[in-house]
Amino acid sequence: MLGGGVVAGVFGSLLGLGGGILIVPLLSLGFGLPVREAVGVSLVCVIVTSGASAAVYLERKVANLRLGMVLELFTAAGAVVGGLVAFLLDDRLLAALFTGMLLYVAFSMLRRARAPEGAAAPESPAPSAPASEGRRFIDSLSGPGYQVHHLRFGAVGAVFAGVLSAILGIGGGIVKVPLMHLAMGVPLRVATATSNLMVGITASTSAIVYLLRAGIDPYVAGPTALGVFVGAAIGSRAAHRVDLRVLRFLFVAVLLYTAFEMGRRAAGSG
Amino acid sequence: MTERSLESSIARLLTAGTYVSVTLIAIGVVSLAIAGTSPLDSAPPFDPARLGADLAALKPAGFLWLGILGVIVTPAARVAAALVGYARSGERPMLVVSALILIVIALGVLSGTSAS
Repeated sequence: MLGGGVVAGVFGSLLGLGGGILIVPLLSLGFGLPVREAVGVSLVCVIVTSGASAAVYLERKVANLRLGMVLELFTAAGAVVGGLVAFLLDDRLLAALFTGMLLYVAFSMLRRARAPEGAAAPESPAPSAPASEGRRFIDSLSGPGYQVHHLRFGAVGAVFAGVLSAILGIGGGIVKVPLMHLAMGVPLRVATATSNLMVGITASTSAIVYLLRAGIDPYVAGPTALGVFVGAAIGSRAAHRVDLRVLRFLFVAVLLYTAFEMGRRAAGSG
Repeated sequence: MTERSLESSIARLLTAGTYVSVTLIAIGVVSLAIAGTSPLDSAPPFDPARLGADLAALKPAGFLWLGILGVIVTPAARVAAALVGYARSGERPMLVVSALILIVIALGVLSGTSAS
């Protein structure tokens, strides 16, 4: 369990993902835990990994604290709803949802691996609306060299990210990063760092629901979270020595195999 | 309080909270191994009333639960620190946002307790 956590932490750190995407399959397929119990443990792990790295991003002024806090109000609301919904869902349905998410991430990574490095980010148009109260607030969320827009759309997307995080035990970066980068005009680096900062509140809000509803096993969560923490530290130090393109293809293969196994579990034959 | 010093304070809080929690979890994992308990064995449920006694008795579950609690509470403490910072600098919109986040977290606690 500790070793599996280390592997999840290394992969997650190198590829900019929370460990959740590997922890849930590891615990449910590898150790026979019900998916919901694995999700509860995974939430604890993603908070641990986000805590240390979010601090670094804040110190380096990469994460946008204000924007992160505004959006995490909505991810937290989604997380409360998702945390309650998760306890109503059947284990096989949870496995099926997780399979869909694994396939989505695998194909997204494959597309990114094929795309040329340093693809251009969308332009952030300059502010054109009159300086109303709302406009001034949105301006206060923008950072050096970029203007935040489509805040309402961002809020709706953030609720969805929160629900997804609570149901699947992931940080929700797969929704938040594209949302901020593509829809709200935030540079990718800032979007990734801000998403990382937001993971703490998103996952801890749903983790509270899991904790109070006996959805977290401390004997499983302890070694796994410790492993993920150590793995993330190793990953961040090894990042510059690893060929990320090769690693991405390897990770896609792991995701596809995991999706196949989770799919079998969802179908009742795994 | 400037935005920069608020961010630095929050970063320190996050680092301290994470490291203290992970240390407690590590102590719990080592005690679990020493006691020869498998992670797949049945674990005691979360009971705040028993936490102090478990810690005093150096039981693995006590350290693990306290560490997990620390992990979960650290992000909320970060929002509380931001609330204080924005209150001091008189930034009403961000003060309201911080307060609303804490209210949503409280709703999570309420919904978790009432449903359990």
